[in-house]
Amino acid sequence: MHVSTKKWLITKISSFLLIPFMIWFILNFISIYENDYQTVVFFFTKQPTKILFLIFVVIAFFFSALTISEIFEDYIKDQKIKNVANKLLNIFAIIMPLITIIGIYNLS
Amino acid sequence: MEEKNNPLSPHLQIYKWQISSLLSITHRIVGVINILAITIICFWTLSLFLGAESYELINNFFKSLLGKFVAIGLCWTFSFHILNELRHLFWDMGYGFDLKISKITGVLALVGSFIFTILFYLVGKNFF
Repeated sequence: MHVSTKKWLITKISSFLLIPFMIWFILNFISIYENDYQTVVFFFTKQPTKILFLIFVVIAFFFSALTISEIFEDYIKDQKIKNVANKLLNIFAIIMPLITIIGIYNLS
Repeated sequence: MEEKNNPLSPHLQIYKWQISSLLSITHRIVGVINILAITIICFWTLSLFLGAESYELINNFFKSLLGKFVAIGLCWTFSFHILNELRHLFWDMGYGFDLKISKITGVLALVGSFIFTILFYLVGKNFF
């Protein structure tokens, strides 16, 4: 399979997977965003919300890295700048979920 | 060949706006807004480490009118992205390519995003 076909397929699978997680998250976010500290901590530390939130974050950043790289492809002409932008994007898409996973697992 | 310093794609300045181009560029902008919002939400969860007193600052913001506007705005960006992404997925399966159908689904995605925003907010707030 061509690398571009593989990237397109992975993008489509991740977008399909992301939809139910987006619905789940926005409904829960609306229900907790005005609540007190204890309620919010409880939400992010209890199961299954903890694992669902972390899966949502991982897929969201993975999907965003794939799709934002398409925006770079369309708008950045200079190959070097495009490569740097893509590398920074990928690093960001790995570090942010990682920090969140570590943070949530240390929150009690 | 002479290298021209034109923008690569799409030429937004010269396109006549229509539902397809409007939704296409909005989809990209909303996608970027969503990932920025998710990044802020990740920092929000990490800010819980700072304790209940620091959390009060964030909580006061969320309880303000601006905070509510941000939450409702997030409902819309999520709604729009979900509906337009579904439209894209149907295209990928070979459905809805006809120009007329494409325009109808575009309008449905746009109108539906506002309906979904209201639904997400009301369901989230346990109004039902």
